[in-house]
Amino acid sequence: MASIEIANARKSYGAVDVLHGIDLDISDGEFIVLVGPSGCGKSTLLRMIAGLEDITSGDISIAGNVVNDLQPKDRDIAMVFQSYALYPHMSVAENMSYALTLRKTAKEKIADAITNVADILGLSALLERRPKALSGGQRQRVAMGRAIVRKPQAFLFDEPLSNLDARLREQMRTEIRKLHRRLGATSVYVTHDQIEAMTMADRIVAMHDGIIQQVGSPVEIYDHPANIFVASFIGSPAMNFLEGTYETKDDNGADGAGIRLSDGSLVAVLPARGATNNQAVTLGARPEHITIAPDANSGLAARIDLIEPMGLSTLVHATLAGKPIKIFTMDRPDYAVDSTIHVSFDMEKVHVFDTKSELRLPPVIEPHPGHRD
Amino acid sequence: MTLATQTGKLPVERRGVFSKKLSGILEPYLYVSPALVLIIAVMLMPLILGLSYAFRDIRILNPFSGGFVGMAHFQTLMSDQAFLGALANTAWWTFGSLVFQFGLGLILALLLNRAFLGRGLIQALVFLPWAVPTFLSGLNWAWMFNPVVGPLPHWMTSLGLMAEPYNILSDPDLAMWGPIIANIWFGIPFFAITMLAALQSIPKELYEAASIDGATTRQQFISITLPFLAPTIAITLMLRTIWIANFADLIVVMTKGGPADSTQIVASYIFTQAFRRLDFGYASAIAAVLLVLLLAYALSVIALRRAMTHSDN
Ligand SMILES: Nc1ncnc2c1ncn2[C@@H]1O[C@H](COP(=O)(O)OP(=O)(O)OP(=O)(O)O)[C@@H](O)[C@H]1O
Ligand SMILES: [Mg+2]
Repeated sequence: MASIEIANARKSYGAVDVLHGIDLDISDGEFIVLVGPSGCGKSTLLRMIAGLEDITSGDISIAGNVVNDLQPKDRDIAMVFQSYALYPHMSVAENMSYALTLRKTAKEKIADAITNVADILGLSALLERRPKALSGGQRQRVAMGRAIVRKPQAFLFDEPLSNLDARLREQMRTEIRKLHRRLGATSVYVTHDQIEAMTMADRIVAMHDGIIQQVGSPVEIYDHPANIFVASFIGSPAMNFLEGTYETKDDNGADGAGIRLSDGSLVAVLPARGATNNQAVTLGARPEHITIAPDANSGLAARIDLIEPMGLSTLVHATLAGKPIKIFTMDRPDYAVDSTIHVSFDMEKVHVFDTKSELRLPPVIEPHPGHRD
Repeated sequence: MTLATQTGKLPVERRGVFSKKLSGILEPYLYVSPALVLIIAVMLMPLILGLSYAFRDIRILNPFSGGFVGMAHFQTLMSDQAFLGALANTAWWTFGSLVFQFGLGLILALLLNRAFLGRGLIQALVFLPWAVPTFLSGLNWAWMFNPVVGPLPHWMTSLGLMAEPYNILSDPDLAMWGPIIANIWFGIPFFAITMLAALQSIPKELYEAASIDGATTRQQFISITLPFLAPTIAITLMLRTIWIANFADLIVVMTKGGPADSTQIVASYIFTQAFRRLDFGYASAIAAVLLVLLLAYALSVIALRRAMTHSDN
């Protein structure tokens, strides 16, 4: 097992810059998830760690050794590909033992390793089959097995679950986590699925346009997103954003903080660090931090667009200050479309973002001392 | 409505089970009969007609010929030294050309499969020999080997391969290499292009996975590239063997089978018998023998392939 350090790593294809100076320290045994929209450079970064892609500038070290010029085989890493990349002309057992055979490992040792891994992954009955005679989920397991058998310093995963159906994906998610707990190997996992990121990661690395936007534990990232991109990318249903201006007096002229929306209504927020009166800001509120008021006496008026029952909960689509918003509720509301409701925002949970820089302006006094930015 | 369907049904029932079954069996053949007729007319008829000549005495210049001679042509063949020589030459010609066409074509395909500047242009150029009419390339190569107009003998002399510039096409011991070299040049593109197409269908991730697993380029070639190419190699080798064995154009243009029948292959011998001696009956008999030999070859290759894929599973 080993740590991985990435220092100011850049990648360009000709004139196109794909990664703009990545700095990331992954500690020994950590499960890191790289998440971001398609084309943000996640695979490129992973492939640079693997040695499949040259590093334009900067350094990548594994276990303290700079590996920039090392061949993939000399980096002692294993990779699981999105397409699995199983050798089609070899049986499951041969696929898994290929690396060991190339290393001239003793036959009995290989057999032991294969039996052991096949046991862990439930592949024992399939060892003689060819990959084409396996289901997608089984192929995925073989790809995992091929990586595990070698006992590498680090595992690299490039969207390994994206070809599976939703149920199997959920199951494999937990299995990979369990496996990680069991093997304790440093892992870098690429996905564009924020649910995978949330559920699997020790730390999430949110990327956008070849730049790391934020690194943090799933809860940190969810509760304290660094900017509008991270706030909008992590969380499903996505965060609501309402543009307005920051005000330091409330409607009665008392000291406080609020955001004046385009329809003139004021949403109270905690005083934000560095925000000045009349500054253009964006209010960010997760659907679960908006509540529907029981009567018309409190809150802001919103018009119902759609009620989306999701079983456990219900998602209410409404229009507030001319913008569509989503409200999450555990109730079973039965509002008619186009009827008016009144909503209020959880003052301690909503976020204030500077509209221009898109950065979050954290509260002057954190409401939850447990979490720090 | 009910009445109409009932009255419509009755006569069919009365026709009986047997005729119903028969029409059920015949019906599909009725549908394919136009295609069958076409195939028989276009493919089988000429073949049968051609084979029938092998048992008849057909000489264009002899007005009394045309009669049935039975196995006489085949008996003559058995002791025809020119034919037996041509048979041996055919094997030499076919496998001599094939080995180099395939080997060099595969190497070229592997080179073209790498990314380099101007690859598109080179890929197009590689096709060129294939696009030149064989008649023209035959003439071209004949001239190249001719010391009066061609550079090759002079080059070989400079390299010390020849004592003095002379035409290998007029040397009975070496003449066969002339058409073989021309054929290699002509056939490389076929293998290069088909192998390249097969190479490009191999997923790149397999090589990446193998390089992470620690396989060298050579090991990757053996455990990934070759298994992927195997079916293409098998089918192209088989097709090309038959093709080359039948391919007399270059020989006819470059050496006309000479000197002293030293470059005569069965296909060119047929041509010589038919269009120089004008003995169509005898030529047809040779053609029939060639057909049987190639058929046997094809069947044995197919059987071998089937046996191999079976043991594979
Ligand atoms: N060989 C290449 N030449 C030029 N540009 C490339 C090349 N490979 C990748 N890119 C570009 O690099 C950027 C990042 O690609 P990358 O594959 O890392 O994205 P990704 O984050 O993995 O996306 P996805 O989630 O779709 O897999 C993309 O904009 C892509 O167009
Ligand atoms: Mg990718």
